[in-house]
Amino acid sequence: MRARPVKGLEPDGPFSDNARRIVKVRVDELYALAPKALDVDRPKKLHDLRIAAKRLRYVLEIARPALGKGAADGVRTAKALQQLLGDIHDCDEMLPRVQAHAADRRAADVDDLTRRAGRNARDLKPGLAPAAAGADRNRGLETLAAHLAARRRVLFARFEREWIRLEARDFRGTLLAAISPPEPEAPVPADGGAR
Amino acid sequence: MAKAKPIRGLAPDTRFRDAAAAAVSVRAAEVFTFADAALDLSDIEGVHDMRVATRRLRAALEVFAPCFPRKAHAGVLKEVKALADRLGERRDPDVAIEELEAMAKEFAPADRPGVAGLVDELRAEQAVANDTVARALAEVQENGLAERLEDLAEAARA
Repeated sequence: MRARPVKGLEPDGPFSDNARRIVKVRVDELYALAPKALDVDRPKKLHDLRIAAKRLRYVLEIARPALGKGAADGVRTAKALQQLLGDIHDCDEMLPRVQAHAADRRAADVDDLTRRAGRNARDLKPGLAPAAAGADRNRGLETLAAHLAARRRVLFARFEREWIRLEARDFRGTLLAAISPPEPEAPVPADGGAR
Repeated sequence: MAKAKPIRGLAPDTRFRDAAAAAVSVRAAEVFTFADAALDLSDIEGVHDMRVATRRLRAALEVFAPCFPRKAHAGVLKEVKALADRLGERRDPDVAIEELEAMAKEFAPADRPGVAGLVDELRAEQAVANDTVARALAEVQENGLAERLEDLAEAARA
């Protein structure tokens, strides 16, 4: 996923102003991607959201000297979100791999049992099945696939809850307020403010 | 995972281009300090450290993009991404193996051989990916990526 371009950056301008501009685009990008990522059947959108969280985290880390402590909470939140989405992504990557591996092994067992039955066999005795070369190995792969599918579901439900929490505490608004430039101090009246 | 080296002298009012030069210079040097450790198959942390360092460098190149000469920046960024991809291919089986082995310990003994078979497959990929990383590192050395990153940092200051 290509990052949204950030307009108006000034190489000769201060680090802090430019950093704020980038953070604003990155956090808006995160929020724009979230609704589609919350659709459980769209893993690609979830992956995009993970990348957006990563980009936000990195710009906040890089810009910490310019944005001060205000960036720290943003880093923690983006990192935690990125981690959670990464765990879900790992399930999305590993599950098809386990299924493909199991299918390969099953195919090897089919070949093995066919060979054992003999060239002119009229039928296959069920009693031969447990003797297939990979019979024991396939069982563990089914267990693993079930674990990964269930873990994905559990983690996704956690992501839904986490996102609701982020919105409830107005993560975006709080972050942008925390990194906004300090208010200029009000001029002290000539009489020192005495009444 | 190695902590990122601090980038000294950055402040809110530092010129964006000076921050760019400092960040890319420090992050680039960091990447190449892990080159030898990354090829050590016996320790999975070496490749992880180099991958993380490469990610940090890539992030700096992207954040500070407007401060660099466009063409030189695009070329260097492409090479850093390619290196990061190769390191990722090498790192992914490390992580998967670690996780699968931890899961297998929690499974019933009868289910463990199935997971072990998959781990064997991943180990074979790990060895292939290690050769790919070795080639990628040799390539960046031949192409003088470290020097060009330093030139890019200098150009940002101009």
